[in-house]
This record gives sequence, structure tokens and C-alpha cells, in this order.
Amino acid sequence: MFFHIVLERNMQLHPRHFGPHLRDKLVSKLIKDVEGTCSGRHGFVVAITGVEDIGKGLIREGTGYVTFPVKYQCVVFRPFKGEILEAVVTMVNKMGFFAEAGPVQIFVSNHLIPDDMEFQSGDVPNYTTSDGSVKIQKDSEVRLKIIGTRVDATEIFCIGTIKDDFLGVISDPGAAM
Amino acid sequence: MVLDFLVLKLADIFVIHRLINGYSLTIVSMKDLSMNVLTGSMNGMNKSSANIPHVTIDSDSDSEGFVEELARVNSSLNGKASSESLKTGGKASSLSKGEAGKGGKSYSTGKGRKGSASIAVSTKSDAELKLELDIPLNSGILMNCEVAELLQEIHEHMAILSEDPNIKIPESFDKAFQYAKEGNHFSTAQSVKQVLDPLKKYGVSDGEICLIANIGPETIEEVYALVPSLKATSSLNEGPIMEALTALTNIKVPK
Repeated sequence: MFFHIVLERNMQLHPRHFGPHLRDKLVSKLIKDVEGTCSGRHGFVVAITGVEDIGKGLIREGTGYVTFPVKYQCVVFRPFKGEILEAVVTMVNKMGFFAEAGPVQIFVSNHLIPDDMEFQSGDVPNYTTSDGSVKIQKDSEVRLKIIGTRVDATEIFCIGTIKDDFLGVISDPGAAM
Repeated sequence: MVLDFLVLKLADIFVIHRLINGYSLTIVSMKDLSMNVLTGSMNGMNKSSANIPHVTIDSDSDSEGFVEELARVNSSLNGKASSESLKTGGKASSLSKGEAGKGGKSYSTGKGRKGSASIAVSTKSDAELKLELDIPLNSGILMNCEVAELLQEIHEHMAILSEDPNIKIPESFDKAFQYAKEGNHFSTAQSVKQVLDPLKKYGVSDGEICLIANIGPETIEEVYALVPSLKATSSLNEGPIMEALTALTNIKVPK
């Protein structure tokens, strides 16, 4: 789920960047340092939408660098337990399949795939129902529920299920249009 | 039959009975009692595993109470099975070694262990399972449609930002942008907000509204199946949700 959140960060700037474009340099450095990162607390920082406030700079003793406290608004993406997501399958194997929803990887174990779907190995590994009507393969879109998240300092990894009602394949790339 | 008794004195009381030759481990924690309890039991304890009273205590942040009762296990297992089934982990094995003092300490240190808190015997029903959102303060939830519009504007400005060769467009931005665009079922975010905002009056939380917008359900059954917490207040919200779903169908963009 996406959030719009205000975060604060202390940015260090080398004196060579001081000048009339100090603020722009600070914002550029902020974007470079923060966008694309992931924290366990807030999730993936997708994009910075604005800078609220830049505080007074403090010169660090001994180095000459200056630390500015910067408050900024950003869009973050963080998955939660119980959330329903639509994800795209990236890999299928006999243990289950991996799917991606935005920047987050989700693993669905074969224990959490409906029992009537069997793994079929081959050139295009997939899970198929006994009558062949429903297939999960690479690039299929599936609706899944997050049942667990593991949060590291820089990464979020999720476990999902498609065994409940109204979950499963949305669209199959192999289906004829 | 030899019966061992372990007695601990803590701010909370832990009374642990262990029986050799098939033992059951019962741990009862009672808040705000601070006295030594020495319980003796007769040989009849060996058949009391079914009669051991269960006390379920909701844990606060300050204290923990948990009740575990394990079925009889063979003594040859030496407590390992019981320790495995205990969510607190291998602390019980230290008890099985008869180290009463250590056992007490391990339980108090066990408070800090992950997963050791509030192990209630009763399981929550689906309706009680709210989305486990710990929304940070000063933040707002964004629906996929809103994010798609927001990121579209940023994407258009990317050309200006990318003049600085040090700035690379991060991969997660592209992935999130793609995901938001593909997950967006509706024509405009404003229209979705107008349809779903009135649901707040009927006890639907922001997170639940966001889920409904992101999923794009077609029937009320789908909503209740995917957002079980709404079932609890279905008498209040069923009508408004059905109206909202009808309105959403009108603004849905076919893919």
C-alpha cells in the first residue's frame, strides 16, 4: 500500500557546493540518497514529492562538512499483512512461485496454492488445474493476499497466499485475446 | 511417581508443574500477585492434564501472561517436543534440566524474545482480523489511482531532474509507477474519492477504503471475503458499500 509521509534526514554537504544554488544541490543530493532505498520502518521510498523545510546548517568539527536537517514529503510503498495485492509472476518452480508487486517480491508457497493446481515442469514451468482451465506461469497476473512480511534493514520480503476466495489468476499471458 | 515442583517468585507468579513419566507443562501467569506459591500435588496429578485450569490473560505492554498446556509426551523426548511447541522456544528445555532458578530468569528474559508475547489460546476470527496497519504519524494512505497520477507528474519532470548526470532514475520508481498504473482500474482519482469517502461515516477505515479502491471488487461478497474486518459491521455498512460498488462500476476503465 502506498503512503504519503513526511520524513526527516540529516544531509551533509561539502563546502564546494555552497553558493547561490545551495538549496538545489541539497535537494539533488537528497533525491540521489533517498529515492529507491528501502527501510524496514517505512518501506520503499518511491519518490520525493516535495521538500518541506531545510533547517540551519551545522558545521561539523574537523571536516568542514555542513549538516542540514531536511524535512521532505515522499511516497513510500509498504506491504502489510492481510493486504490484497495484484502481482505479476516472475518465476515458477515446484516450491511455489515468485511474484512482484511494485518494488516488493512476494513468494507463494505450493502449500498456499489451491490443491487442484499441480506443478507442470517443462520449458514454461507452470501450475495448472486438472482440467487445464487455469494456469499460473511467468507474466501471469495474480491476486494474492499477504500473510507475512519479513523486514530487514534495507529490504522487505513477503509471503502470500492464493488459497482463499476471490484470489488467484486475473489474466494469463498465454490466453488468446 | 516422583513429582517435581518448581516455584518461582517474580512480580507475576509462575507456577510450573512437571511430572515425570509423561509430563504436561502448564505455565500460568497471574498479574499483580507477588507471593511465593508452593503448590504440592499428589500422585493424582499425573491424570490431571485434562483438569489443569486454563487462564488466558491478555498481555499489556508491561506484563506478559501466557498459558500453554501441552499434551502428555513421552519422557524419552525429554522435553524437546514441548519446547518446540512452545512459542517461547527452547526455554522449557532449560526447565527440564531442573534448573529452577535459571528457569525463572529465562522466563523473564524470555519476555524480550520475539514471538513470546501474548500467546492467547483463543484464535481470532476473520472478522476480528483487522489489516495490521501501523500507519506512521503524519502520513496519509494513497490509493493506486492517486499514486498513478502523482507519479505521472513526477515522471514528466524527470527530464529536468535527469540533467544532473549524478541522478539516476531509481528502479523502484519505475516498478512502482508501472504497478500503480496497471493497478488503477478507474478513470480519475477524484471520482474514486468522491464515491468512497462517504463510507467513512459508516465505520469504514481509511485502510479499508484504500483496499476496496485497489482491488476494484464487483460484488459485496467479494468485499467481505477480501476485507474480513468489514464483516463485523456489515449491518451498518452493507448498503453504503453496495451503492459505492455500483458507482465504481460506472467509473471503471475497461482494460
